[in-house]
Amino acid sequence: MRALIIDDERLARVELRRLLAQHPEIEIAGEARNAEEALKLARELSPDLLFLDIQMPGMTGFDLLERLEDIPQVIFTTAYDEYALKAFEVNALDYVMKPIAPERLAAALARVRPRATLTDHPAPRLEQVFVRDGERCWIVRLPDIYLLESEGNYARVYFRNERPLIRRSLNALEAQLDPAMFFRAGRNAILNLKWIERVDLAASGSIVATLLGGRSVEISRRQSARLRELLSL
Amino acid sequence: MKMTTKYWLLQALGWGAYTAVAFFFAVRAVGPRPDVIVGFALFFLYSIALTDLLRREIKRHHWLDEVSLGVVAKLFGIGAALAAFQTGLIVGISFLFVGYRSEYLTDPAMILETLWGITWLNGTWIGLYAAITRRRRQREKETRLELALREAELRALEAQINPHFLFNCLNSIRGLVTEDPKLAQDMITRFAALLRYNLHGDVGHTVPLSAEAEAVADYLALEQVRFDERLRVRFEIEPRAGAMQVPPMILQTLVENALKHGVGKLPEGGEILIQASAEPDELVLNVENTGQLAGASAAGPQIGLNNIRERLRLIYGSRAGLLLKNTDGDRVAATVRIPAAVVA
Repeated sequence: MRALIIDDERLARVELRRLLAQHPEIEIAGEARNAEEALKLARELSPDLLFLDIQMPGMTGFDLLERLEDIPQVIFTTAYDEYALKAFEVNALDYVMKPIAPERLAAALARVRPRATLTDHPAPRLEQVFVRDGERCWIVRLPDIYLLESEGNYARVYFRNERPLIRRSLNALEAQLDPAMFFRAGRNAILNLKWIERVDLAASGSIVATLLGGRSVEISRRQSARLRELLSL
Repeated sequence: MKMTTKYWLLQALGWGAYTAVAFFFAVRAVGPRPDVIVGFALFFLYSIALTDLLRREIKRHHWLDEVSLGVVAKLFGIGAALAAFQTGLIVGISFLFVGYRSEYLTDPAMILETLWGITWLNGTWIGLYAAITRRRRQREKETRLELALREAELRALEAQINPHFLFNCLNSIRGLVTEDPKLAQDMITRFAALLRYNLHGDVGHTVPLSAEAEAVADYLALEQVRFDERLRVRFEIEPRAGAMQVPPMILQTLVENALKHGVGKLPEGGEILIQASAEPDELVLNVENTGQLAGASAAGPQIGLNNIRERLRLIYGSRAGLLLKNTDGDRVAATVRIPAAVVA
């Protein structure tokens, strides 16, 4: 797995590199001293894994994630259990505390999955997105998202009981989504096929899809035909 | 109004009002005789003098510190004794002027009546004096408590060593252990010295600037290991300034601030300059860093700096101050002025 180390302190990078020497499955593809550099490297190298410091000069680690189109697996490295991390819904294994205990690092690495190799799809496929809503933020895995709605240049992301806005247009998102999982319901919505509970015919001849959890989405006339085909109704 | 001014004003008004009214009735009864005029004028003066003497005694023996039944009895006993003395003076003065024709001698019941009236008068004086004094002390006590509380809060704030710094520092040292063992050893020593200064610092008192500067040098050496070439440090402390007294942690807070909001925000880093100069009657501390105050940070919450301002105000009143401003286009300067005090 190819990893990127992002930390403003040289010694912190040195120390992490030394600790990672015990994990030959991790190949360190590059190091960045700040979020600016990291952004460039991440786009160039599209790593599987980021070791990301939160507090950095200029952009913070969260700012960086917000700018990245494609979020790889992330292990946050932090010196202190900052309030920022508390506002963030991260699993205990998604972050390690500095100075890093080797066992703790091993446990976090054990959870990391290599990026799905999608050789048959030439376009990059999103696996997870970073979402920030005011003080709170999440890294959301795509299968957890049941609906995306267009709001101007933004998209509203529906998952669990949350529905924050993401700073990307629905069209830009659609280009990166797996068509086997996501379906364009119309001009304003994309829904997750796996979350469809039931479909009903409306009087107009179009289809209304009801998602698990009870939300219903009207499918445009044109797309109704396609959905019928997909679900072989 | 000052306490003493208020006291004398109340004395003059109280005794003046009583004397004036009593004088009015006496003149109506017997006419403006010289013995009446002189008697009342003197009564006004010696009553003030006598009660002032009583005030000095109350203060000297701290009788009002704890009011018990014994103290009350003693005070009123003294009040009655004073009344007897005042009555004696009244009778004496009357006798000096008119001899055996004095009303007090022709009608001895008048002596008792005078004694009774003045005893009540003195009792009232004592009661009022005790009430006013105790209320003032209560207020002073509340103010002192409030100040102590504020000071305790500030201490708790300052004593906190920034945990972010602490753990990053330990992490850097861990990295140094294999890379540069000698430097790692040096950093551990500095880390210990800094911790000791922070934990031990008696925030209630002042310390010589040289001790504070030493701790700041340790702190910055540790930060330099973390920041690498991104942090440059310059000290310009006049030897005479080093001996002057400062509140502990003041320089460190300024430097932390310069790092956190200045150099730390710059991807390419910058310089921190620490200057101290001894002027005839004050010490001037100046901490400059690369960077500029943006609109937001200039107006935004400056917890560290407000903390310093508050401490300076508590210790020096309006004689000390802190000024933060942009200089030279690419630097920020925080300047603190403290009244001069040299180590004994």
